[in-house]
Amino acid sequence: MKILVADDSRVMRQIVVRTLRQAGYDDVDVVEAEDGADCLAKVGSESPDLVLSDWNMPNMTGIECLRALRAQGSAVPFGFVTSEGSPEMRETASDAGALFLIAKPFTPDTFRDALDAVLA
Amino acid sequence: MSAPITALLDGETVTAVAGEVWSALVGEEEFLLPGLGPVAPAVDGPSAWVTVTGPWDGVVVLTCAASGTADLTRSVLQLDDDEQPTAEDVEDVLRELANILGGNVKSLLPGPSALGLPETGPAPLRAEDADTCRVSASWRGHPLAITVQGASEAPAHPTTEVPK
Repeated sequence: MKILVADDSRVMRQIVVRTLRQAGYDDVDVVEAEDGADCLAKVGSESPDLVLSDWNMPNMTGIECLRALRAQGSAVPFGFVTSEGSPEMRETASDAGALFLIAKPFTPDTFRDALDAVLA
Repeated sequence: MSAPITALLDGETVTAVAGEVWSALVGEEEFLLPGLGPVAPAVDGPSAWVTVTGPWDGVVVLTCAASGTADLTRSVLQLDDDEQPTAEDVEDVLRELANILGGNVKSLLPGPSALGLPETGPAPLRAEDADTCRVSASWRGHPLAITVQGASEAPAHPTTEVPK
């Protein structure tokens, strides 16, 4: 099992990975991407089982990355981990093909609630 | 144009949002102590902020006393007490805290609106008091200020400076 974590903040990538471990996903491999463009490339090269992506990133945002993936025919499971969780953003994310949107701040329980169904 | 921030948000709400962010990112047992009084005292330290663009235009600024930034970074990154974080890590932590504070504040404001990318540096110039919601707090004795200010005319005081 491999998860691709995309966030322009190294600190936040570290916190997301730590939270994954705390949520009990000890045995997953984690690959990191530092923006949407890097994420798009690494979905191709790393073939992750799940993408956890920030929304606001330089070069390419998370939603642009998701739309590009779907336009290329990729069906990789994709969820957002972002500082904004408004109903409009959740709808936009869902319409683009995201499975969930986790708003920061989050807890290991939040991760389990969103990820268990995807990684089962 | 939207109402000024003081009509949209109060300090108590900002303090509550900041408390949740602190518990989740800095540590479950870490508490922000709210400051006293409606106007924060001056905080001498680096700032990080994000812009909010929409019906209400402005910026959410976190300023942390310089004495507390290393300690804060160690807590967020769960480093050892004797470990000295890099300047890059300190800035990244401040940016991310401001980003999450901004995202949560934005969700309380009229929408739709967009959040900018977080930045660090000297605090943005202060806005008019009527369009500024500022709270003070302390964490482990280090003063902090969280300022939600409109993009109104920017007079000549740094964000955390108390006007004479």
